[in-house]
Amino acid sequence: MIKHYLKVAFRNISKQKMYAAINIGGFAIGIAACLLIALYIKHELSYDSQNPEGNRVYRVIGIAKMNGVEHSVISFPAPMSKALMNDFPEIEKVGRIMPSSLFSGAGSNQIRKADSPENTYEDGFCFADQSVLDILHVPIIAGDKSHALKDPFSMVISKSMADKYFHGENPIGKIMYFNDGTKRPIKISGVMKDFPSTSHLQYKFFISLAGVSFWNGEQETWMASNYGIYLLLRQGVNIAQFNKKITNDVLNKYMIPTLEAAGRTDARALFSSAHLYLQLLTDIHLKSYDIEENVSKKGDIRFVRLFGAVAFFILALACINFINLSTARSANRAKEVGLRKVIGSPRNSLIKQFLTESLLYSFLSFCIGILIAYLLLPLFNEIACTQLTIPLTKWWILPVSFISTTVIGLTAGIYPAFYLSAFKPINVLKGQLSRGSKNSGLRSTLVVFQFTTSLILLISTLVIYRQMQFIINKKIGFDKDQVVMIQGTNTLDKQTASFKNELLKLPQVKSVSVSDFIPIAGMKRNGNTFWKEGKVNGEGGVSAQNWVVDDSYIQTMGMNLIAGRNFSKAMSTDSQAVIINKAMADKLGYKNPLGKVITNGNNYTIIGVLEDFNFESMKQQISPLCMFLGNSNGIVSVKIKGKDMKKTLAAISGVWKSFLPNQSMRYVFLDESYAAMYADVQRIGLIFASFAVLAILIACLGLFALAAFIAEQRSKEISIRKILGASITNVFTLLIGNFLKLVFISLLIAVPIGFVLMRQWLQDYSYRISITWDVFAISGLAVLVIALSTICYQSIKAAITNPAKNLKAE
Amino acid sequence: MIELKHISKWVNVGGNRVFLLKDINLTINEGTFISIMGPSGSGKSTLLNVIGMLDEFDDGEYDFLSQPVHKLKEKQKSQLYKSHIGFVFQAYHLIDELTVYENIETPLLYQNIKSSDRQAIVADILDRFNIVGKKDLFPTQLSGGQQQIVGIARALVAKPKLILADEPTGNLNSKQGEEIMEIFKQLNEDGVTIIQATHSEKNAAYGSQIINLLDGKVEKIELK
Repeated sequence: MIKHYLKVAFRNISKQKMYAAINIGGFAIGIAACLLIALYIKHELSYDSQNPEGNRVYRVIGIAKMNGVEHSVISFPAPMSKALMNDFPEIEKVGRIMPSSLFSGAGSNQIRKADSPENTYEDGFCFADQSVLDILHVPIIAGDKSHALKDPFSMVISKSMADKYFHGENPIGKIMYFNDGTKRPIKISGVMKDFPSTSHLQYKFFISLAGVSFWNGEQETWMASNYGIYLLLRQGVNIAQFNKKITNDVLNKYMIPTLEAAGRTDARALFSSAHLYLQLLTDIHLKSYDIEENVSKKGDIRFVRLFGAVAFFILALACINFINLSTARSANRAKEVGLRKVIGSPRNSLIKQFLTESLLYSFLSFCIGILIAYLLLPLFNEIACTQLTIPLTKWWILPVSFISTTVIGLTAGIYPAFYLSAFKPINVLKGQLSRGSKNSGLRSTLVVFQFTTSLILLISTLVIYRQMQFIINKKIGFDKDQVVMIQGTNTLDKQTASFKNELLKLPQVKSVSVSDFIPIAGMKRNGNTFWKEGKVNGEGGVSAQNWVVDDSYIQTMGMNLIAGRNFSKAMSTDSQAVIINKAMADKLGYKNPLGKVITNGNNYTIIGVLEDFNFESMKQQISPLCMFLGNSNGIVSVKIKGKDMKKTLAAISGVWKSFLPNQSMRYVFLDESYAAMYADVQRIGLIFASFAVLAILIACLGLFALAAFIAEQRSKEISIRKILGASITNVFTLLIGNFLKLVFISLLIAVPIGFVLMRQWLQDYSYRISITWDVFAISGLAVLVIALSTICYQSIKAAITNPAKNLKAE
Repeated sequence: MIELKHISKWVNVGGNRVFLLKDINLTINEGTFISIMGPSGSGKSTLLNVIGMLDEFDDGEYDFLSQPVHKLKEKQKSQLYKSHIGFVFQAYHLIDELTVYENIETPLLYQNIKSSDRQAIVADILDRFNIVGKKDLFPTQLSGGQQQIVGIARALVAKPKLILADEPTGNLNSKQGEEIMEIFKQLNEDGVTIIQATHSEKNAAYGSQIINLLDGKVEKIELK
């Protein structure tokens, strides 16, 4: 019997080539899209899943409200881990990492082997406790696993770094220097496997925290928060209760008393909204998007959900094509159904036959879909910034493919199967075959669903695109063009000033500034609290960024002073001067801030006010900021003039070589770094655009076939109308009228949904566009034109056919 | 074999009841060959469909092989006609997607007959109707007469007791028609009950009884 079903199914497919091609094509595209999305989601969900104790490993998160906005952080005081360990028997192990590049060693370094003069730039450095290796089950492949970070100045390096620096040698026991710091040799005590791409941490070097103290008393103070804390809890701890217990313990036993002892009478109020919670290891990757950290590789659970929804909808669109085409075509199948029933077929046998057919469709589509996915994968990886592969060699791929094929086939096939198998033979024998044109209600609903989905995707794409354009073109308060940032200049040390002077001698260089503080998210930041003169503690403090810059910073960055003056080297008092931004002035409540004094223990006189500039992502409001004259020589920014970038860079590089022949020059462009901040928005935009195109393509494939069938079914009616005097235009209008109505209804549904969704999305941005009506007009018009051109061909063909032809056949 | 008592079927058109069949009383014994005659619209096809249990009737009683059809459910009815009745249509109604061989085989598939048995039965029938050479052709590749022969072969393959033929020669030329009628005659001699609806006096004459219908009523029954 199954052979019989398959045979008939094959013959039907080969007989109705256009119909089959559209069904299989649509399905295959849908399946390819789903497959890519499924791979992406699987990859995102697989982060940190390798840890055998993963269900008991947590990271500590702190949440506090500041200026009414909730902030989440992962940095805590150095003694906190020990305190937690002492206070709570629930904790089995605790360990710290210190990734802050504010202190020597973490972040990036120029490193060299003890026996080699040449420095190489590397990033991915982090200080860590031995217990972090244990908690995270970092696989140590050489060296003593349990003592790798026990000794001061010891370091664990990754396999690829070991291969790079000690190819063919045993790296254990070898010495390396950071930034030419020969006084502080670092000994390699272990080699770890490279972190897999699905790990939230991606460090290449772990330096021991044993015996480290970044300043006097640093390890004991509760006043500075620089350490990330990982915990391994014992079995069966109630996390909700434990969160409360540690919050209470840390705040009341340590933080508040410490601050009160330092004279902060408002300490208790300060922490009133603060609490701690433990984040499960496997949640770190996807659920840290609103935590202020750039330690871990962050994904976004919202994207995962969004993609899941998109995959579902695209597959639904393809299934709808199948349902619509099958039922529209029912007249062609009705005769077969009737006859089979007359010669003895029970209904369930017909249902099985139709399901076999839809399964065959889905199976063929799956094969083609995999092929399409395979071909599109490189493109997808580029757009989504991933390195996914299709796991063809994994054992589960067969059963999973088989089950999904079956589910898709059944989903799409079940309704047509019941619908088609319900024909009464007597109707067929009486020649009442035109039931296919009835039941158009369901079909119209499904078409509306398809176009609504396409429209929503299109509207979203447009809004995202516009927000992106807004971000790129917004007046951001500084000039990001033609600025080269030379990094790693701290090795210039005392030569920095003369390096700057040499650069200024180049004709292509307009100005040069030395400062690590760059108005791009993720660059060096330093926060502090300031009061108006006379107050040092208590209420009224303004937390602000304090940036160390030089006298040419404002000029090089193209920032605007709206009052006062820039720093000047000629004025010795400028070491006690501060330039603030407008937001700081507002926060302090100064209408005319010039000459006023602010304090954080030291007094500073305000000499200038800067126009607000965006130094973080546009998702955030511009916060108060203070600039001080000082030395911060990690980055030298060069503003250049002229068009010949290549020559200019060669000239700058030449100067660099004369100063640091052993270190290659690293540089980035300010405008590129700025654009990179919004790479994720651009990525979402691209992904949305791709899926919108796919959805419209699938919907139009269905529409095309539907138009063809309806034109065919109404051919007799059309012929009679023409004989009665209808013009080609009349007939054409008659045929497209219905479809246009459906597109309009879709637009009516899509506009409010799209509006609400995109308004929600834009809420993330403090600086955003407003959604204007033309977004909807453009989307609607685009879909209308596309739908119209899709059905035009069929409708015109039907309208110009000689009526005698159709009526003769009756 | 077949007993129709006061069978009526009607449709309501604008408040008026229009009878398609009115008070039909018929007894048909096994082994007879009946021709139903009458002008277009007289109810021939409707009567055949009612006998074949493809169509409902509104009033009266119908016993088929001593089973009260008017009391049976849809499933039981289809079970009954599936195993005892073969249908032959004016428009042949072969399944276009299947070859001659497969068209004939299909009724057997639905009766869950073993593959080897099916092969034997189909081969036998192909042989009997001299269409072995055409078994791999599709219906559209055959002439009308040949298609009707396949239609009859398909109706017979499940060894029904009764053949219902609705204008079996209506689309054929006279020579082909004659050929079909000869086949029916032969079948009837082999013991199959045949009821055919026809316009043609000549074809009707093959039957042992001729029932004349007019406006849904039996006008007269001629015995030969």
